Amino acid sequence: MFNALRILLLGLFGAAMVHIAILSLLPIYSERDVWAALAARADLYSTVPLVHSAAGTEGDRPFIDNPLIEASVCRFDLSTGMTRILADGRVPFWSMSIYDRDGLNVFSLNDRSAQQRTLDVVIADPPQTLELRKGLPEALEQSVLVQADVTEGMALVRVFVPDESWRAAVSEFLDSVRCAPL
Amino acid sequence: MGSGTRQIRTSMLKTILQVATVLLIALGAGTGSAWLALETTRSIGSVDVGAWTTFPRAGTRQADPYARARSARIGELALGQAEGVSFIADHDDAGAPLLRQCSYLIEGPVPAVRFFTLYAAGPTRRALQAPERFSAALHSQSLLWREKQQLSISLGRHAHPGNWLAVEGRGPMLLVLTLFDTPISTGARVDEIDLPRITRVGCDV
Repeated sequence: MFNALRILLLGLFGAAMVHIAILSLLPIYSERDVWAALAARADLYSTVPLVHSAAGTEGDRPFIDNPLIEASVCRFDLSTGMTRILADGRVPFWSMSIYDRDGLNVFSLNDRSAQQRTLDVVIADPPQTLELRKGLPEALEQSVLVQADVTEGMALVRVFVPDESWRAAVSEFLDSVRCAPL
Repeated sequence: MGSGTRQIRTSMLKTILQVATVLLIALGAGTGSAWLALETTRSIGSVDVGAWTTFPRAGTRQADPYARARSARIGELALGQAEGVSFIADHDDAGAPLLRQCSYLIEGPVPAVRFFTLYAAGPTRRALQAPERFSAALHSQSLLWREKQQLSISLGRHAHPGNWLAVEGRGPMLLVLTLFDTPISTGARVDEIDLPRITRVGCDV
């Protein structure tokens, strides 16, 4: 009796260990690492249009799930300088998120926080922001300055497509997204 | 002499059996509980509003280990706070699972948002393809509105007057309601809002 209880307790203790191990190892060993998937498809600073999950195959990851949203993503590296993201055109709604190397969201903004609703964002790490505060170059006066606590990261632009008549304008907007080191 | 070795052998066998049992419990219960915590829609770290569930901190650096593991498994890039917040429902207000062969009425108040989208998804959160000609998703600017911002959407396989989200096929589904550009995406207030109720109207046999 005492022996059975000991076995059960040991087993439960082991179960807790296994539970914790699975939880902490999953993000490290996940086959769906977004950064790795994007790196296999495109270089740093080149924009990749995302495929909808409804029509996508496993090789098209990462997906965008919402059928009414179109999106493009680019990878950047702040260790070689700040990154500027620009797009032309008018769409009903756009938003942008910055993810770190692990795919965690560190910053987001939408068209209401931008001047004239134009997508013109400069991403800088804390030392680069300090540098910028000393004197803002004239070319960046209209830009939204984003301080992100990342070195390598991803910038994802989402655009709302209210109906088919907007599709051309939306894809034009997404095609015009430029990701460039400053 | 002979009985002595037999005794040692049985005690060894007993030990091996005990160790095997311990390992079996550890692996079984450990993986099982982890799978359950990650796979179920309502889980650790979730906030429930009626039939709807959201994970306010999922995909951010403040996420708990469960949310992190869940995001890694799905391989998702979560919506940021300035973008919006997604709610998922896998059962109706009565607690029955959502099925594609049933029709539902989604009605009630919607919090202040710039716009929202609603679509049906499969168990892996992939949006379902709508039947021909119909849109796979609805959004607030394409809907007919009743008074006082009361939402009313019919969902099912059979055409319906008013707002209708078409689905086809059979089997379980999820409903995904995404509120864009809303002040409620900051976790603390998520549970204070009202979301539409999901009521089952009927089912095809």
